[in-house]
Amino acid sequence: MGIAISNLSVRYGAETVISGLSLDIPQGCFFTLLGPSGCGKTTLLRTIAGFAPASGGQIRFGGRDVTELPPHKRAIGMVFQDYALFPDKTVADNVAYGLRARGEKGEGVERKVKAALERVGLGHLLSRHPAALSGGQRQRVALARALVIKPTVLLMDEPLSNLDAKLRVQIRETIIELQREANITTVFVTHDQEEALSMSDLIGVMNKGKVEQLGTPQQIYATPRTGYVADFVGAANRTEVAVRSTSAGIVELEVAGSRLLATDALEGPAEHGILVLRPEDLKISSAPAAGLQSLPAIIRGRQYLGARTSYSVECAGGLALNAELHGAGHDAFLPGASVYLGFDPAAARVIRS
Amino acid sequence: MNPSLLRSPWPWFSALALALLGVFVVYPLLYIFTASFFGDGGSGWVQLMHDGRSLAAICNTLVLACVVTLCSTLIGVPLAYVSARFRFRGKLLITLLPLITLVIPEVVTAQTWLMILGNNGVITRFLKGHGIFLPSFYGWFGLITSMSFIYYTYVYIGTVAAIGKFDAQLEEAAQSLGTAPVRSRFHVMLPVIRPAILASALLVFTMVVGNFAISTILGHNVPLLSVAIYQAAVAEGASNLTMQSTLASTSVLIVMGLLFVNRRIIARGRYEIVQGRGAKPQPLKGGQGVVVSAAAGFVVAISLLPLLTIAVGAFTLSRGPVMRWGEWTLDNMARVFITAPGPLVNSILYAGIATLISVAFSTLVSYLVVKKPNLVTPLIDYVSAIPLALSGTVLGVGLLASFNGGFLSLTGTSTIIVLAYVIRRMPFGMRNGQAILHNIPNSIEEASISLGSPPFRTFLRVVLPMMLPAVASAAILTWTTTVSELSASLLVYSGGRETLPIQIFRLIDSGLMAYASAYGLVLVAVILLPVVIATTVFKVDLFGSK
Ligand SMILES: Nc1ncnc2c1ncn2[C@@H]1O[C@H](COP(=O)(O)OP(=O)(O)OP(=O)(O)O)[C@@H](O)[C@H]1O
Ligand SMILES: [Mg+2]
Repeated sequence: MGIAISNLSVRYGAETVISGLSLDIPQGCFFTLLGPSGCGKTTLLRTIAGFAPASGGQIRFGGRDVTELPPHKRAIGMVFQDYALFPDKTVADNVAYGLRARGEKGEGVERKVKAALERVGLGHLLSRHPAALSGGQRQRVALARALVIKPTVLLMDEPLSNLDAKLRVQIRETIIELQREANITTVFVTHDQEEALSMSDLIGVMNKGKVEQLGTPQQIYATPRTGYVADFVGAANRTEVAVRSTSAGIVELEVAGSRLLATDALEGPAEHGILVLRPEDLKISSAPAAGLQSLPAIIRGRQYLGARTSYSVECAGGLALNAELHGAGHDAFLPGASVYLGFDPAAARVIRS
Repeated sequence: MNPSLLRSPWPWFSALALALLGVFVVYPLLYIFTASFFGDGGSGWVQLMHDGRSLAAICNTLVLACVVTLCSTLIGVPLAYVSARFRFRGKLLITLLPLITLVIPEVVTAQTWLMILGNNGVITRFLKGHGIFLPSFYGWFGLITSMSFIYYTYVYIGTVAAIGKFDAQLEEAAQSLGTAPVRSRFHVMLPVIRPAILASALLVFTMVVGNFAISTILGHNVPLLSVAIYQAAVAEGASNLTMQSTLASTSVLIVMGLLFVNRRIIARGRYEIVQGRGAKPQPLKGGQGVVVSAAAGFVVAISLLPLLTIAVGAFTLSRGPVMRWGEWTLDNMARVFITAPGPLVNSILYAGIATLISVAFSTLVSYLVVKKPNLVTPLIDYVSAIPLALSGTVLGVGLLASFNGGFLSLTGTSTIIVLAYVIRRMPFGMRNGQAILHNIPNSIEEASISLGSPPFRTFLRVVLPMMLPAVASAAILTWTTTVSELSASLLVYSGGRETLPIQIFRLIDSGLMAYASAYGLVLVAVILLPVVIATTVFKVDLFGSK
């Protein structure tokens, strides 16, 4: 079932946390809410679940209005940041809980529980208590518990944030596999952009209770529509620029005394804009590179990061940019060196300021 | 209000809880307050100003409370310090102290002192036989001695906990900065444990103000507030509603004032100790060790004396008030179990029912306050703490006056006794329940609801099982305190509904110490049995959750 949210607002007392939010999540989609701390991700998720009442607007699951439906009747599966396993019940009883709440009994429950736990690789831990599990195992039990009831939507609030980096990658894969298998509409909350980019079909970048941009990971990364999105997803160089002329999707702009060309993402006429340049799209060379527009620059600092090197570079007119080089010789330039900074107009985008 | 809110059961429970609290806590209190202003002879407060004996009672109570608080602190703090910081012979006995206060009802302690130092006491008679006449134990001397040797345990418990949490590193840090050890102890440790000492001293003060059993048994010619309230309430044929209400209000105001001081001044100075790595106790050897062991042993021995005395007294032959020490009999016990088992049965029945009600009520209501807050839950929280300011005598007077006829007549029923028990215990049950619930994350409940379990079933299936161990220990503490409750039940009970403490009180009044000892011994057993079963069989951690 898809989730359709229209004109939703949520208030805590006098404070409006979410206002006028509309969102369509198609059936089977892995949807990620990405945003900084306090932007309202958890609140939106809890409103979808029914734990935080909506003060306006509508939420529909597959066409059915659930706005007034209490949470236990919404047939959701939920995975919590702290897992929220019942500490006094065994792993098997934890997983069986939702089935029993639905009135299922006997062997059928046992079989489903066993299958669900085997699916997450924990078939051997049926009679353990949660206290005797590792963090990753708890996470898997929580997943099995949420999925065994075949919910209509799966809601997850930063389920990986308590795990170490390696385990996180592993469980990411488990989650994706299970989600594809069950073909279940999923809302996943995170503030980790890598997680969002690698897992999602669709990402909603949230800012101050609004969805600032909705799109596939590629769209969000490659064509951010606002400076905020550009900066939050991948560290982009952002610079105020003056727009001189636009034609056929190309902007001629002026920044720090230089005239440059960039892709037009202004969505209409404008005199000013923000130039967005990804560090990895910037090339450094000792002579102007052919086919790229080049700016003379000086290396101000560098960070060697193994597979890549990150440089801070100062161009003519005082414009400071970050560039990241990969591949052979990526660490060749030293601070103080005079270089040329080159980029393709297709990789540089000017957006509305 | 949001209509979907009214579909959930919680607002209804809140309303019900508030209504119950309103009828059984607020109404009696207001009844007393209003009755103190209006009466046959004009305002009770004007009467009070011209009533020398009542004024003396108030004065005496305050003086007694000050002296006992001071003595208790002087015994409790050093004892706590040596037992937290040093190891010495007999230290194990000191750790039993909390258990002792829990187990021995005040009425039994008072009785014991009388059996030893009273007019017919063992020591009194022994010395009299040798021509030495002791001053009477009744009055100031007896009151101060016996109360100090009960209430120091509260100071001890509070201080031990504070020192235990005090981080030895803090002290070491102060020393490393160049302060000498003794000075560093004063400068660093004292401010940190002072709030705990002050808080427990204040607790002692309020307990002395509210004390009835010892006050009335040992007070005799010293008029005291709670005794005066009791007498005004039960005065043969001339029960004076205005005067008893005025005196009861005075008691409430004194205790409320103290609670206010506690909240405003002491609680504010409470330090957060981030990391509690307690200091390792140092062994005490040689002369120091002997002195400390002896002093600590003496204090503990006096605390244990009541138990020993009633154990012997219960099997000692007597002729009226005269104990024939050394001559043994089973008659006293036979009376408790066979001839007059009423008090035993009543006690078990009333305390059992009260424990069930109290635990159920405080569990549910603290759940509302912590997990389902709405407009009225802060009010519920506040009102349920009011009984803290009501001594047993005041509560008894309030219930007696409010439910004597009128819209709800409870006088002469067992219900009013159970009610008194439940109300007295409520603030403690609530505090305990809230402490447990704060440790259960909301996500646990939401997990259950998200899995399709409705809210109330979630409470029963998920929250309750998690609360159970702590609820069990709360139930046991409730049992031990209600079984030994005297001051409120003594006012509201009626013929045939005597409980063990009431029976003991009446026997002491008639000077029948052997019978009183037998009932006392059985009372201690009734208190102790669940404690022993819980800690040994069910491994309930009683003191951790107090
Ligand atoms: N129960 C509440 N009462 C009042 N305000 C709340 C409550 N819960 C959240 N808020 C406020 O709502 C805003 C959004 O909170 P929310 O928990 O949704 O943020 P979040 O995006 O999930 O942040 P994080 O990444 O830190 O989890 C915050 O400003 C927060 O202070
Ligand atoms: Mg959050």
